[in-house]
Amino acid sequence: MGMAMADQPAWQSVDPKLLEILVCPVTHETLSYDRERQELVAVKARLAYPIRDGIPIMLREEARHLDEPAPPAGT
Amino acid sequence: MPDQRQQFRVRHLRMDTRGPLRYGPPRMTESPTDEVDFGFRRVPRDAKAGLVREVFERVADRYDLMNDLMSLGLHRRWKEAMLDWLNPRGAMTLLDVAGGTGDIAFRFLARAGATARAVVCDINPAMVEVGRDRAIDRSILDRIDWLVGNAEALPVADRSVEAYTIAFGIRNVTDIPKALAEARRVLKPGGHFLCLEFGPRPDVGLSGLYDLYSFQVLPKLGELVTGKAEPYQYLIESIRRFPSDERFAAMLGAAGLQRVRQRRLAGGVVTLHSAWRI
Repeated sequence: MGMAMADQPAWQSVDPKLLEILVCPVTHETLSYDRERQELVAVKARLAYPIRDGIPIMLREEARHLDEPAPPAGT
Repeated sequence: MPDQRQQFRVRHLRMDTRGPLRYGPPRMTESPTDEVDFGFRRVPRDAKAGLVREVFERVADRYDLMNDLMSLGLHRRWKEAMLDWLNPRGAMTLLDVAGGTGDIAFRFLARAGATARAVVCDINPAMVEVGRDRAIDRSILDRIDWLVGNAEALPVADRSVEAYTIAFGIRNVTDIPKALAEARRVLKPGGHFLCLEFGPRPDVGLSGLYDLYSFQVLPKLGELVTGKAEPYQYLIESIRRFPSDERFAAMLGAAGLQRVRQRRLAGGVVTLHSAWRI
């Protein structure tokens, strides 16, 4: 599953410094970075925010609910 | 329908510049069907964000070029005036909201020291991509981060940035008081809020020319350059709908931002608003 991400360019990974101040816009909890799925996960909110082209999409309406199936890796 | 809108526009222009205040809670509760302004139209509250997004998606690739043409290059001076007040320095972290193409962030980084950082947050992925690609071209990647987010629900931790800027963006936000409250939330105590926005009431001597320019020239110019007149029609209408300097100052105060200072630029066509989280 992680194969597609293996050779991703450096700018496509999320800056650790950004992760320090980035929170879930709904609950303001800190996020964990799922590198394989390219998602930022908010556990309490049960939401996963997609990272598209290296850009975190931090909109409630774009997030995947954690109970929904994950998208295939690499999309 | 278009004819009707034309009449509507002229009537409301008068009301808007002379009449009662257009924004704020009283009006929202009066509205029976919870609608908000979208230019001179009233649209359902839920629909505005999508409509604004559409406007900017349609012009993203030529947005900065249009700014140059529309403002006759003056937007550069207005932005520099904002950065003068911001006074970038040291290890400052700037959150630039609605700054998709990176124009403010790049200026900030150029002025600030090597330890400063900028985070650009825009609701529109198309605008953010333009900015991010530009950053790649300029090889400034490690001091700048890009994200898609809503000014009314910022994905940023409490008390995490020294400065918050929003240039020509607050007008497009559905719930301005909510966005201002969010700005205060993410600012550290002592943090600086700065906003550039078109003013609805330029100085009296200017208003005739300004009306002619904005309602006759600008949409045509927009159509010429981007192939689309409608986004620019919205832009102009939304400017006239924006609260006056006095009203906006009151909104800043209501959001808990203090020591409000305003500077009218180009005869009040644009106002620079400054406030602090104390």
